[in-house]
Formats: sequence, structure tokens, C-alpha cells
Amino acid sequence: MNKTAIQPKGLNIAKELNTSKPSTILHGILRICSLILCLSMFFPGLNPARISNLINRNISLFTTGLSFSDLTTKFNAMFRQGAVDKSTFVLLSAASVVIIVGTVLCGIGGCMSLGNNRMKLRGIWFPIVGSLIASGGLVGIYRSYLQLQASRGAKRAQVVFPSVFYLYIGLLGLILLVSLIILLTERRLEKEDKMEMPEKYSLFLMLLPIIILAFIFLYLPLYGWRYSFFDYKAGGTLSRENFVGFKWFTILFRNPATVRDIVRVLRNTLVMSGLGILTSWVPMAFAILLNEIRSNRFKRLVQTVTTIPNFISWVLVYAIALAIFSTEGFLNSFLELFNANQNTNWLMNSDHMWTKMLLWGMWKSLGWSAIVYIAAIAGIDQELYEAAKIDGAGRFQRVWHITVPGLMPTYLVLLLLTIAGALSNGLEQYLMFQNANNKDVIEVLDLYVYNIGIDGGRIPLSTVIGMSKSLISITLLLFANRLSKFVRGEGII
Amino acid sequence: MNNLTELNSKTARRSGFRRRPGEVVFDVVNVIMFTLFMLLCVFPFYYLFINTISDNDLVVKGAITYYPIGINFSNYIALKEVSDLGNAFIVTITRTIVGTALMVVASALAGYLVTKKKLWKRSFWYRYIVITMYFNAGLIPWYMNMLMLGLTNNFMAYIIPGIVAPFNIILVKTYIESIPEELEESAFIDGASTFTIFRKIIWPLSKPILATIAIFGAVGNWNSFQDSLILMKGAPHLFTLQHRLYVYLVKVSDLETVMAGGAGTTMVLENTLNSKVVKYTIAMATIIPILLVYPFMQKHFTKGIMLGAIKG
Repeated sequence: MNKTAIQPKGLNIAKELNTSKPSTILHGILRICSLILCLSMFFPGLNPARISNLINRNISLFTTGLSFSDLTTKFNAMFRQGAVDKSTFVLLSAASVVIIVGTVLCGIGGCMSLGNNRMKLRGIWFPIVGSLIASGGLVGIYRSYLQLQASRGAKRAQVVFPSVFYLYIGLLGLILLVSLIILLTERRLEKEDKMEMPEKYSLFLMLLPIIILAFIFLYLPLYGWRYSFFDYKAGGTLSRENFVGFKWFTILFRNPATVRDIVRVLRNTLVMSGLGILTSWVPMAFAILLNEIRSNRFKRLVQTVTTIPNFISWVLVYAIALAIFSTEGFLNSFLELFNANQNTNWLMNSDHMWTKMLLWGMWKSLGWSAIVYIAAIAGIDQELYEAAKIDGAGRFQRVWHITVPGLMPTYLVLLLLTIAGALSNGLEQYLMFQNANNKDVIEVLDLYVYNIGIDGGRIPLSTVIGMSKSLISITLLLFANRLSKFVRGEGII
Repeated sequence: MNNLTELNSKTARRSGFRRRPGEVVFDVVNVIMFTLFMLLCVFPFYYLFINTISDNDLVVKGAITYYPIGINFSNYIALKEVSDLGNAFIVTITRTIVGTALMVVASALAGYLVTKKKLWKRSFWYRYIVITMYFNAGLIPWYMNMLMLGLTNNFMAYIIPGIVAPFNIILVKTYIESIPEELEESAFIDGASTFTIFRKIIWPLSKPILATIAIFGAVGNWNSFQDSLILMKGAPHLFTLQHRLYVYLVKVSDLETVMAGGAGTTMVLENTLNSKVVKYTIAMATIIPILLVYPFMQKHFTKGIMLGAIKG
């Protein structure tokens, strides 16, 4: 139990005030530098230990330090022939570990600089020691670079000097400089009770890992949009030479083959979304009809059973489709009863593909989508029904005049969200059901991006398409939100 | 059906209203419709199942239609001879357990922290998390990002990106806001630190919502397919179960080649084992765990979807 927590809020604020302005800036620099240092530890592109082009492009400093085998996958032959000395790489790996340790110390220092003066003063030793240690690691990397260059296999090993090295020197130098200045200028505090941190910062530090993860995995992909301006080939690099500006955007409109593809894909996308929008009332009808059933046990049973398909992945749905619609599947056996078995493989048939996809989607999600409406019906004021009954309204009139209007707000919100998501049909369903016969009618935007980007390796073009899709979707969403605000006085997001 | 009509008439009598003939017809049609739809939902699973436990010779001919013939479980036992399937099971189970646990802890902590008014720039960080639900960089930029981070052909790609789940954070935050603030305040006055309050008060009290997101997270992990498909191209031993099944269903027309000897070596196992039945059996073995946890999730998902309807 931490007794200091009882302190009134005012004290903390007073303590913050006694820090002078320039030192606040210095601490800010220190924090930012440590943060960059910590993050770059995990980015393969920012790996100072990549002293040879043969080192895997996708390993970060962190991996370099912790996994020796990943580092040396392509060097084992050279080790055996004695072209490159193994100790060079042991040194490299050890130096990376040293940098990691130094970085962690700098990170601790950065966190502690958020505390009160006493904590700041104590904490300043961490970046000093940390940056010195990390500099030692840099020296180690440099030495192994020299060793590798001097070795017999230097040419085969494709030795390069990593340009990130300078970034590291700069960062570490800055950290060292700043923390020394702080150490020398900070006036000693005569007496202060304890090391502690204002609560707002300690809470923030707890949230920080999540903020960083969200940045890396949810925001950083946006940086990938830059590929749409380069002539990028898988495994290549982005440089000034292959910068092509808006070339891919114009191809989208000029190249006849691409235009044909886009038109076809957009047609499929819009038709399937359109069918989805046209049938968006079905879950509501499902809920209303279910509500009319009087046996509660039967109601529960229906709900339980009809939501099962929602929890099965599309891969499994396809397995089921295979079992039922393939040549020896259930449908053909069933048709045999009427002597109508034609031994067809129904899955290879591309007729009515749009309707089939709609029905599969409905089979999977109808019961699930109805839950929202069932809950909304439960929320309708029962007195309305009583009053209507007294006024002589019949059962169907009550449904039509009370239940349906009661569900309308929910329906409208979901409808607007569906419209806003019209370009995103999802990938998995169509990926599973696509085959050579039905590609023309099944390929929706998401699947097209997958097919040409991941399977076909045309990264820039698929990025352009994906990017346009995202931008249109967000515009639609904002528009739907505005519309909803206008109509209902309340937004949907 | 008899039972139901009886029940219906009972309620009708109780409420003092007699149903008109039109209503009776409606009720009967309604019940029949729902019964048919239920059948439509259940029968495919049943059909798949009876095909995996019947005599394989009959299954190949498509002779098993309504009930199993020659019940045996040899197909399930034979699964262990399908190469790589064991690996896929281990990978999927590990990612489901570890990934879900980390996601739940992170969502609980983040959800709690964004309710704290003292958090530095609270509303900014909350918006920073929420806003990610409404935009999407797209598949390819996501893939290039993972490539840049070295998260391809790497098991960590299943775990780390899933830790932050904005929607779940919002669910937890909404739920925690409904817990009376006095509880937290009194603990604070007793000298409990933020972390103690989280561990001793918030965590136990928000268990219902945590169970909800845990179950959804687990099902999502179990069904995960896209990340494995796109990121694990060069690491077949890291394929998830769904990805394995996808390979068997779509990519490999002749499963015998991947059985026992691994790709390339064709090995005829017992005569009774054949690709079609093996596909069905793998599918069934993937479905069964979901059906087993389904009763537990059922009571949670209404809550989950309703909370989802409340905006953060």
C-alpha cells in the first residue's frame, strides 16, 4: 500500500511548477530520443548491425542480438571455408546485445524523467550510463565491420556500412549531451520526501505500451501508402530512381486492361453490396417473426441454433459447401429421390453466383444479425402494447405500428453503416468460393486486391486500389454520419 | 408441434383473447418456417459428421445421406498420419491461448486507464484508439508493414498485432464506467495504488465483459486464416489449422500426396483412407472445438453485441 497516494492533488502540481523551463525542454528531448531509440530497436530498416547485404533484410537489431542463427543463415558456408571468421559475427551479436541493454537503460531514464525532481535527478544517471554502454556497442559493431572488410571473403560477404549507424551516433550523442547538461545544471534539492511521479504520468506510462502497439500496427500501415508512388518490385527498395509519381493512378484510368478489370470488379462489388442492402431488412423481419412465437423455449432454441454458423470460419463453410454441393454430395443424392440427379458439381457452376454468395452470407449471419433487433424489441416499452391492445389494435397492427417503428432507429444506423461499407465485402468468403469458372463474377474489390497484390506481386497498383477504396469508404462513412446527425440528431460513429 | 399448439392455446386462454383463424395459420406457418431454417443451419454439420464416421467406401460413392452406416471412428484416428496437421493444431491452440490472454489483459488495462480522469491527455488517447476502427490502410500496406517489421514467417505475427483490439477496449471501458465510482474511491482512500485497484476491484468486477471478449477473441483466433495465408508463405510449419484446411480443400486436388510422406512423395495408406473423407474429417475436427465452447459463449454474446451497439 502506497501511503503517498493519499496526498492531495495540489501538492503534485506545486512540485511540477518548481521545475524550470529550459530543463523541461531538455527532458522532453531526452524522452523523445529514448523513445526513438527504443522503437528503432524493433525496425529491421533501422538495424545498425546490418553490415552486410547478405544479412536478412527483415531482422531488426533486437533479433540480431537475440538470435545468432537468424543472423548467420547465409554465412555458414563461408564459416566452414574460413572465408569469414565466425568471431566477427559473435562480436556483432554481442555488440547488438550491448546496444539493447543501453537502449533499455535510456528508456528507463526517459520514463523516470516524468517523475518529481528527486526522481528526475536519480533517473538522469540511466541515460548517461545507457548511452555510454550503447556507444560501446556501436564501437563493437564498427570493429566487426572492419574485421569483415579485412577478411578474405569480404567481396562475397557484400560488406556495406549501414547508414543507420550515423543515426545511432547522433541519437546517443544527443542523449549523452542533454543528460550531462541536465546533471550539471540541475540545482540540488535540499530535502524532498520521496521519489514519486505525478499520477497522470504514471497512468500514462501504463498506457504507453498499448499506445505504441496501436501506432505500429494500426497507424504505421498508412505509411505503406507510399508504395503507390513508386515502381516497386517485391524484394526491391524504394529510391528516387523508381519514384513514378501518379503513374499508377493514371494506369487505373488509362490502361484498357486495367480499366476493364476495375469495371468488372466494381460491378461485382456493388451488385453484391447492393443485394446486401436490399436484403438488410431480413434480420429485422427474422427478429419480429421470432418475437411472435409464444413458446420461450422454442425461441431460445431458434436463437441458439441459428447463430452457430456465424462462429464457423469461411474455410469451414466451404468444406460444408463441398460436402453438400459436390458431385457425390448431399444435393445430388437428394435429387436422386426425384430422379433428377445430373451428377453436376454445383460449386463449379457459375450461374447465379451473386445470389449464391448472398444466400451463403445470409445462412452464416442471419441468426447473428437478428440478435441486435431481438434485444431492441425487448427494450420497447411494454405499456405501448398494453395501450394499443386496449384501443383494440390487433396483433398485426401492434407489430406494424409499435414494433416496426420501435426498431427503425436501430435499422437505420445499421443500414447507414452497411452503405458506408459498400466497397468492403470482405475477402475470405470470395477467396474460398472462387475458381477458374466463376472468377469473372465473384471477384470483388477486396479479392482483386489480394489476387493482384499478394498472388500477382503487383504491389503498387494494388496499393493504389486499396488506398482509393479506403479513402472512399471513410468519405462515405463521414457522409453517412452527417446524414444521420441531420435526420436523427445523433451520429453513428 | 402438438406441444406448441397446446402451449399457444394455453397462453391465449390466459390472456383472455381467442386467436382468430388467420392468426392460427400465421402461427403455424411461422413455427414451420423457423423449424425449417433451424434444420438448414444444423443439417450441414450433421451431414458432414455422419460422413466422417461412416464406412468410407459408401461415403466415396455418396451413399451416406441421412444417417451413418457402419459407424467407426477410424478416420479421426487416421488424422495423425496427415503430415503437418499436428503442427497446425499446436500452432492454432498456442495462438488461441496466448493471443487471447494477452488481448484480454491489455484490453482490461487500457479500458480501465482511459476511464481515469487523471490520465495525461485522456480524451486524446481515447480518440487515438477509437479512431483506428474507422479507417483501414488496406491489405497491401498492412502486409508491407508486417514485412518491414520482420513479422513474416514468424509466430509472433499471430500474437503481437492482436494485443491491441480497439473495439474490445471500448467494450471494457463502457463496462467499467458502469461500475460505481465509490468502490474505487474508497479503495483509493484506504491507500490502494492504481494497480492494486485494477487488480483487486476492477478486474474481478468486470469479469463478465472480460469473459465475453475472451470468448470472441478465442473464436477469432481459432478461425484465423487470412494472416496465416498472407504472412506465412515461407513457413508451412506455422500454418494455422484453417490455412491447412484451405490448402487441402482448394490447393491440393489430391490429398494423398501430402499425407504421410509430405509433399512430393505419394504414399498409399490404407485403402480405406481417401482424400475426400480426410478433408471432411479435418473440417469436422476443426468445427468440434467451436461447438464444444458454444454453450458457454451463448450466454455472453447477447451482452457483447448489445454493448457493441452502445457507442464508446
